[in-house]
Amino acid sequence: MGYAIVQVLNALSFSALLLLTALGLSVVLSLMNFINLAHGSFYLLGSYIAVFWFASGAPWWLAFPVAFLATALAGALLERFPFRGFYARTHLMQVLLTYGLSVVFADLMRWGFGAQILSPELPEPLQGVVFLLDMPFPVYRLFLIGVGFFLAGILWVLLDRTLWGAVVRASVADRGMVETLGIDTRRVLSAVLVLSAGLGGVSGALGAGMLAAYPGLDEEVLILALVTVVVGGLGTFRGTVLSALVVGFALTFSKVWFPEFANVVAFSAMAVLLLLRPAGLVAPRLRQV
Amino acid sequence: MVAVAGLSAAALLAGEFHLRFLAEILIIGTAVMSLDLLVGFGGLVSLGHAALFGAAAYAAAVAAQHLGGNLLFILGTGIAMGAAVAALMGAVIVRTSSLFLLILTLLLGQIVWEIVFHWRDVTGGADGLRGLPPLSFGPWVLSSARPLFLLAGLLALAALWLAHSFVDAPLGRALIGSREQPIRMSALGYSIPRIRFLTMLVAGAIAGAAGALYPFVNLYIGPQSVHWTLSATMIIMLVIGGVGSLWGAFLGSAVYLAIQTYISAYTDRWQLFVGLIFVLTVLLLPNGLAGGLRRLASRMRRRRAQQA
Repeated sequence: MGYAIVQVLNALSFSALLLLTALGLSVVLSLMNFINLAHGSFYLLGSYIAVFWFASGAPWWLAFPVAFLATALAGALLERFPFRGFYARTHLMQVLLTYGLSVVFADLMRWGFGAQILSPELPEPLQGVVFLLDMPFPVYRLFLIGVGFFLAGILWVLLDRTLWGAVVRASVADRGMVETLGIDTRRVLSAVLVLSAGLGGVSGALGAGMLAAYPGLDEEVLILALVTVVVGGLGTFRGTVLSALVVGFALTFSKVWFPEFANVVAFSAMAVLLLLRPAGLVAPRLRQV
Repeated sequence: MVAVAGLSAAALLAGEFHLRFLAEILIIGTAVMSLDLLVGFGGLVSLGHAALFGAAAYAAAVAAQHLGGNLLFILGTGIAMGAAVAALMGAVIVRTSSLFLLILTLLLGQIVWEIVFHWRDVTGGADGLRGLPPLSFGPWVLSSARPLFLLAGLLALAALWLAHSFVDAPLGRALIGSREQPIRMSALGYSIPRIRFLTMLVAGAIAGAAGALYPFVNLYIGPQSVHWTLSATMIIMLVIGGVGSLWGAFLGSAVYLAIQTYISAYTDRWQLFVGLIFVLTVLLLPNGLAGGLRRLASRMRRRRAQQA
């Protein structure tokens, strides 16, 4: 029983991490129709920032806002050039551009931070384990579950319940009409990309305590986040939450039951899911013209 | 004609190292050209093409280890494996498009990679397979560079001819139609899933034939040949050469592999440059070298016509 609870919590903490990363990718993909394969680089940069911030002795909780701001800044610079010119290009060109950038960033980070696995030294209050029915469980993962779903909630309020969120959604639905209302939609879209990059960074900072930081992690996280977004369905917040849970649980439990071929089983399950529901778990309502 | 002349000149003049390198270019180029059938003519951007190529390469290598390197047998194994994986992938992707197609092919490709990477008893896992027997054709043993290069050249020409006749055949025309006007094509009674599935089979068979020869160039095959990184690399080779031009695929793979080989000889940071190649290509050369050359040719022709 205790073992099952621990595995469920493991899956939940992984889902929380996936959710944050996938939301960053999803807002850009569904709102701007832009595939950003460099999102994994934002994640890994955030992880490295957290590792070095925890080691520096500065107040530990500042690591997360710092990671957010640093990657948001990187996102803002990239948005200026070259992303902005590619919003209207084909998916193929977007994929090639951002894949190339992610390879460049991966190599720069390997150059700067080394090729070894860096595990952060966790701050005092997050170290250690708690006992659930006599089974040990890391405190940090509980923190991850809490913060992950809390941040996702904030994002939902921001996009779904504020005026700014309404402007973003309106810019997607009918850009010309929003422009005639006197709103600079180009700036709105830049803000979305910056927010997405920052989300990537903060999820990296959170994930460092669970997955550490090493070259190649950017790609692993990117693939899982992409799968999460697509399985959930484009443009639905509920869908992404649901599919983060599905992917998190599928990966965690296939690692428990089929340690050697865990990813084969999990990926196959997701491919089947995509076949059964090609538009995602929660299909967006399409306006029929 | 030019291609045949170039191939025979290279066979006579180039040294051992360069012949193997050219053979690799021709083999990868053949696989890239089969991808062009999907991307350039069907509008189906696949991020899993390396899985077809790599699975065939592994099948050929394993078959050669156990049953010897008879050329026709090895080619048959590769083609069968490439077509089989393509059939699987085709069955899955025929009804999807754009983004979902991209993710599904990526997922399926990574499933193949995971199997290759973890099935150590057969595939050697991360180490790959070494110590393969050389290819043989009747009494001849094709182990030195020159026959291997000629073999790769023959394969490339045969594949190019096959791809050209596929595109000119009714099926190829229907494929282009399904890319341009899917609704109109369905209304005319064409089954778009069927067209796409058959195209996948042809592309898989060509990629499989190329994959079958690949392990024998360097007598080694590793899991990198199945990874989606190679799929992305194949797409960039295609874009460098020019999407939809078929022969441009060989140009693209030659340019890419040459840059990669010479840069990695000079610096450890060659991956940085590989990434830059991607970025610069889409920024400066989105139509590829073949498109640029064709524009140049038509401009010269026009100038000559004005002078006359």
